[in-house]
Amino acid sequence: MVFTAFCKAGLFSLPAKPKTMLVMKLTTILILVGCLQVSAAGFAQKVSISTENAPLKKVFKEIKKQTGYTFFYSTRLLENAHNVSLSAKDQDLRKVLDECFKDQLLIYNIVNKTIVVSPAPIRDFPPSAQPDTTPVQIRVNGKITEAQNNTPLAGANIMVKGAAKGETSNNDGEFSILVKPGSTIIISYVGFQSRELRVRDNSFLSIKLSLNANKDPLANMVVTGYQVINKESFTGNTTVISGEDLKKVNPQNFLQSIQVFDPSFAIVQNNLAGSNPNILPQINVRGSTALPSGNGDVLSRTSLNSNVNLPTFIMDGFEVSLEKVYDLDVNRIQSVTLLKDAAATAIYGSRAANGVMVITTKAPKEGKLQMFYNYELNVTGPDLSGYHVLDARQKLDYEMLAGLYKPVAGITQDDQDVRYYAKNRNVVSGVNTYWLSQPLRTTFGHKHTLYLEGGSNSVRYGLDLRYQTSPGVMKGSTRDRYTLGMDLAYNPNKVFLFKNVLTVNQVNSRESPYGGFSTYATMNPYYPKTDSAGRVIQELDSWIIDTHGYGTSQYVTDVVLNPLYDASLHSFNKSSYLELIDAFSGEWNISKGLRLRSLISYTKKRSTQDVFESPLSNKYFFYPTYLLSRRGAYAYQSIDENTFDGSVTLNYNQQLGDHYVNLMMGSNIRTYTSDLKGFGAIGFTNDRFTNIGFANSYPLASSPGGNFSRERLFGALLGLNYSWKNKVLMDVNLRTDGSSKFGSDNKVAPFWAVGLGWNAHKEYFFARNFPAISQLRFRVSTGMTGSVSFPPYLSKTTYSYYSSYWYSTGVGASVNNYGNDALKWQRTRESDIGMDLGLFNDKLLFSPRYYYKITNGLLADINLPPSTGFDSYKANLGDMANRGFELNVKYTILQNKTWTVNVFTNLVHNTNKILKISDALKAYNNKVDQAQQTDSLKASPLLRYNEGQSVNTIYAVRSLGIDPENGKEIFIKKDGTHTYTWDVRDVAPVADPTPKVTGSFGTSIGYKRFLFNANFFTMLGGKDYNQTLIDRVENADPRYNVDSRVLADRWKKAGDKALFKNIADLNTSELSDRFIQKDNELTLQSVYLSYDLVPASAARLGMRTCRLAFTMNDVFHWSTMKIERGIDYPYARSFTFSVQTSF
Amino acid sequence: MKIFIWTLLLAVMFSSCKKWLDVKPESQIEKDELFQTESGFQEALNGVYTNCSDGNSYGFQLTFAMQDVLAQNFTIAPKDYLGYLQFSIFNYLDPHVVDLKNLAWTKLYNAIVNCNLILQNVETHKTLLSDINYGLIKGEALALRAYIHFDLLRLFAPSYANGATAKAIPYVKDFSNTVTPTSNVTEVLNAAIVDLNAAKDILKSVDPILSPGYIIGYPAANDVTSTEESLSSLFWQNRRHRINYYAVCGELARVYLYMDKKQEALTNALEVINSRKFPWTKIPDFISANPQTIDRILYKELVFAWYDPYVKDDLVYLFGSGLSSLYIEKNAANTLYETGGVGGEDLRFKQWLKPVSDVSGDRYELQKYVRDKDANLHYLMAPALRLSELYYIASECTYDTDPAKATAYVDSVRYHRGINAPLTIPDKASFLNELVKEARKEFYGEGQIFYMYKRLNRNLAGLTGISYPASDKIFVLPLPNSEIDYGHR
Repeated sequence: MVFTAFCKAGLFSLPAKPKTMLVMKLTTILILVGCLQVSAAGFAQKVSISTENAPLKKVFKEIKKQTGYTFFYSTRLLENAHNVSLSAKDQDLRKVLDECFKDQLLIYNIVNKTIVVSPAPIRDFPPSAQPDTTPVQIRVNGKITEAQNNTPLAGANIMVKGAAKGETSNNDGEFSILVKPGSTIIISYVGFQSRELRVRDNSFLSIKLSLNANKDPLANMVVTGYQVINKESFTGNTTVISGEDLKKVNPQNFLQSIQVFDPSFAIVQNNLAGSNPNILPQINVRGSTALPSGNGDVLSRTSLNSNVNLPTFIMDGFEVSLEKVYDLDVNRIQSVTLLKDAAATAIYGSRAANGVMVITTKAPKEGKLQMFYNYELNVTGPDLSGYHVLDARQKLDYEMLAGLYKPVAGITQDDQDVRYYAKNRNVVSGVNTYWLSQPLRTTFGHKHTLYLEGGSNSVRYGLDLRYQTSPGVMKGSTRDRYTLGMDLAYNPNKVFLFKNVLTVNQVNSRESPYGGFSTYATMNPYYPKTDSAGRVIQELDSWIIDTHGYGTSQYVTDVVLNPLYDASLHSFNKSSYLELIDAFSGEWNISKGLRLRSLISYTKKRSTQDVFESPLSNKYFFYPTYLLSRRGAYAYQSIDENTFDGSVTLNYNQQLGDHYVNLMMGSNIRTYTSDLKGFGAIGFTNDRFTNIGFANSYPLASSPGGNFSRERLFGALLGLNYSWKNKVLMDVNLRTDGSSKFGSDNKVAPFWAVGLGWNAHKEYFFARNFPAISQLRFRVSTGMTGSVSFPPYLSKTTYSYYSSYWYSTGVGASVNNYGNDALKWQRTRESDIGMDLGLFNDKLLFSPRYYYKITNGLLADINLPPSTGFDSYKANLGDMANRGFELNVKYTILQNKTWTVNVFTNLVHNTNKILKISDALKAYNNKVDQAQQTDSLKASPLLRYNEGQSVNTIYAVRSLGIDPENGKEIFIKKDGTHTYTWDVRDVAPVADPTPKVTGSFGTSIGYKRFLFNANFFTMLGGKDYNQTLIDRVENADPRYNVDSRVLADRWKKAGDKALFKNIADLNTSELSDRFIQKDNELTLQSVYLSYDLVPASAARLGMRTCRLAFTMNDVFHWSTMKIERGIDYPYARSFTFSVQTSF
Repeated sequence: MKIFIWTLLLAVMFSSCKKWLDVKPESQIEKDELFQTESGFQEALNGVYTNCSDGNSYGFQLTFAMQDVLAQNFTIAPKDYLGYLQFSIFNYLDPHVVDLKNLAWTKLYNAIVNCNLILQNVETHKTLLSDINYGLIKGEALALRAYIHFDLLRLFAPSYANGATAKAIPYVKDFSNTVTPTSNVTEVLNAAIVDLNAAKDILKSVDPILSPGYIIGYPAANDVTSTEESLSSLFWQNRRHRINYYAVCGELARVYLYMDKKQEALTNALEVINSRKFPWTKIPDFISANPQTIDRILYKELVFAWYDPYVKDDLVYLFGSGLSSLYIEKNAANTLYETGGVGGEDLRFKQWLKPVSDVSGDRYELQKYVRDKDANLHYLMAPALRLSELYYIASECTYDTDPAKATAYVDSVRYHRGINAPLTIPDKASFLNELVKEARKEFYGEGQIFYMYKRLNRNLAGLTGISYPASDKIFVLPLPNSEIDYGHR
């Protein structure tokens, strides 16, 4: 009841526009469906035929042509058939057929419009001369239907266990198969639970298959992108997650849900970007394998944006970008396979070192036209639990304590009193603006997904439409996605299969005009945001600041501008892209077990970005009068990306006695080009005309920008998966990659992996002695993979043109870099050992693993004396190691007809260590020492690299805390002595922020048609630098709003045992380990509840199935560290209500 | 069998793909590709000039700011908005000073590497180039390499007078990632002389400036007699914007004088003076009230200058933004230009220094580089070598043999600046005194006077009467730390 009410509310709240959109889309679909449904009606049942000694096959063909009736038979059946001679004119179909079958050892059966041909009953066989020693075969007929509503299932596979032959069911779900009595047949159908039946006689079988939405048909398979391998016989380390499961955890952002299933796939927390829907996540799998490469600039831990550890994403066989994955509709995902160790990833060679994520999308199924419709209503609200700011009264008290109203030279106490009481008047009159909530909102996002599929055995089609809005919690920020997809599969016969998938995506995104959220956290609560007439005030306040400078410049005025004023203007920052992907594949089943497959995909993506800054915005408030005509700016940029990815693979599967071989060889080719163009303009007359055409000039000394880059990759690969009696397993993978990114000396490099495994539970002695153990598998693997995550052309000496600075005698070109011809791949050697243990019929599953990953030849800058003309060049210098444990435990507590109760936990521990670094990085550390002393960076830990430390280690000066006597900080020097003076030379590694354990745990409870899931995510044992403490408490600027701990926890008088320095001390405190805190976190990542409607009620609504679901994400976050989360953009909690239906 | 064929096919494909993997960058150009055409060589050479007119190099710091601040030519407000205060007190450890001098070092050596790349390729691709272009490209690249090394020497090494055999800088002649060993002062000077003489020989036969038809004047729109922009190829125009034959002679004169080789210096200086190629600026042009017809930098007298139009706004900021800029106090300016005496009529004082009065006192702002909305007679240039310097060199080189002739050289410069009173010199010390005073007036805001103090090992005269005693502590900028560390200097 609750849900229906919610559903109604949800539907009614639909804005008008999407509704019309939906109607329009529906119309389109209906038209399309009309075209696809080729009607067979109108054919006569009379036949005219005249043949002389014609093969039966030919006759069938002719009959089919005339009547539209299809024949259903296996080719082998007709091998012994006699040729027939016929002469019929306008004869009844049955009569003609009787004639045909007269002398044959065959019979026929007309079912609807299909003529099923089967061998004549055994008793009709002429008595054989010799006694037949083989058991007599019997013909078994049956019908396969769906368990829930008895609809027949066409195209289901019926296989005889242990034999290679099989049949498929016809349109009415009927089948007929020859078997030996006592053998077992397996009935399987995509999307349904398979069933096995032992056949004793030839009685008619009525088989019901139940829909198994939870179980992915590929659940027991590993899709590597080039091969599909049985999980049981694969030695690589993989995690397979079905799309359905991903959706249950986080329907809005499935990348977030992956870490619940495998915490090794870590989404790096981005405390700056929070829940901004337009910021792509940073991901790393099993630790870092590359050093962050800057352009020589000092990196602070928050300013890292290069994503050097990103895994490779493969979708349906070709590589796609992170953005493509981020914008992918989770409803389209069949399954996601994470390939982690070398044995699994080595076939991706130079792209494999950071793991590979293989996404398989749903393929259309044959059968009647089916329609799936999915609606989601997503309610998102800001999570401000990390923020604790002072209110108006407290703030003013703090300003007093901080000594802001003491007389300073030039300003008398009277002046200061006037200023103080002006503010006090505001406070007393009740001004207490909660600035934090000003740019925020609770939003409603909608998602409509429609999928149509159907077709016959030979032609299948799928049509997919999506409309999704993801508004962010900051007003005005949004990301809207539209998708149109068309799948076509055609297999003219059993030998060939062709498929084409065309997808068109449009994504429009907009950043909030409210600017950075941090501004709002610093606005004083006693400022009113509007004047008495309700107009937004631009200039809120001004402070006189003593700069301790000379003469007239000693005192400067700091004007406080209202960020809401900017938001009231027409400035914008919007981007959009249109992406077109076409993937065409062909399969040729050359002979039994031998298959040739080729795939060609082409991706075209055009992105544009438009940024307009209003001439009235706060940024131009201080512009001198002579520059008034240059206020306002517009920047435009477009990127055109083209990717071509092609592969050819030859697969050979064969079981020879006890040996099972799955051999694959192939080659892969990929080219990528990116063409960027951009220009800017300045000088806008007013805020209304936002078109770039209104700009009066180009920015000073600027010229249009452009950048073109091209990457090429070619690989040849070989994969062998071998098992002996399914007991001893082996995988060998080889790949040779050539990449355009490397030095001319090293264009081509080989990669390899070997894996071994043992299915101990398959051994007879084991099964006999340990009946409780249902599964016990050991795997070990090792291999060499590479990564190429750095800009192309580094290996070449290149020139750039000074296109915007012509010399008087022509344009000039200047050399950019010292190209290192000898540049090589970063090579990662990874070894992995693991075990899978299943107890009590797999009720308890336990899989521990250990890995060791060492990356050699880390790409690093090598410093040169500048007299060589360059500061540095790139070379392979440096080694880094990652080692870790992974543990997955799953326990099925209860499983019966009404109840299913599961609990699980997945834990990961990773340590990273730099083994060797180059001189350049040592020089970088010195540069960091220097930078650390500049005011803006004094208080933030900068990235440093030292051998023996982790790449993430935090460096700071060790501290004993605040001296209770005078409120000053006591530091520990390198030699152990104590001092009040901070010295950059005392900076030491103080903490590793990597958690000891990262993991998720949760439960899944099913009761009848209800399903409940809850997932927690936790990080334990790490330490982190609490930036809030230093920025917003210790170094808080009393002129702006601050964290509430300023009042409570700072030193005020002698004897105070305070955590923070003297409240009146306005100097900048430097980096010290006083701000390092234990970081234990627990997040209730998702709660999911769903209910499947009883088929009868669904049918009353005209649906086949209907599921109502409710998901809550990031509901609750607990941490030992009290830190402001989401600096530039706050974090959000989201609630999703969804309806999944099929018709 | 099929597998075998397939493998074979793969192998064939694979061997042919190596070339395919060799991707050419498109928004940048690969080194080998650039030097495939004549225009590529021209662009590479132009690139050296653009490189040198960068803000961290001759385009700003090394012409207008750094050395003149060192030479105590400017008053700097204590607030020190532009960060030159520490420079003016020779605090070479101040982070901002360290930054600026390191950037200059890096930028200059980067220009040298560009020269070396040209020189490395010009011989192997000689057939691509016409004789004239081959000569210009090779000659200029050699000359630039020497010119830049000489300036690096004058900034980062002791003077010849003070330490002829002292460790100096590396003289880099290769494009490579290996470290070039440090040379001493004499070795650097000799290497520069070798390069300059080689350049002089090459340019002698090809430089269009040597043709009698090459008439120096203002840019085409302002001056019909000028032929500087009349040649068909842009590359051959505006020879004075590049290091032409006479500039090489002038530079040789500079280098020889630095080594105290007066005879060779004189010969080279006279070659420029006697060519009569470079006319003195007409006084009406200098003092014109009409922005269309004013020449503030004495354009025609520039033997060599960097084309530098893009720093217009930076220069406004540097010299014309009140107390935050580099200015000169009223009294100091009056002393510097001797306005109480002989300098009362000095047009340089009148034209270049604009009096400004406000609450913080009376001062002068430098007008030398002011642009009147691009209407002036000349381009905005960063002077590198002017005719007057060659007169001063000639004067210094002849004093020992012919004092009267020596003073005549100085007098002729003064005459063209509006000072008619001839110099009366009792002895060599006062001659040098007068010469340095005169040069300081002439080179104000051009970055040359510091080198003169250094060469002569003279005390630096501060504006407030303080004198900074000559020593390597103030004359020698320390090498960048990265150079010392990675070059093992």
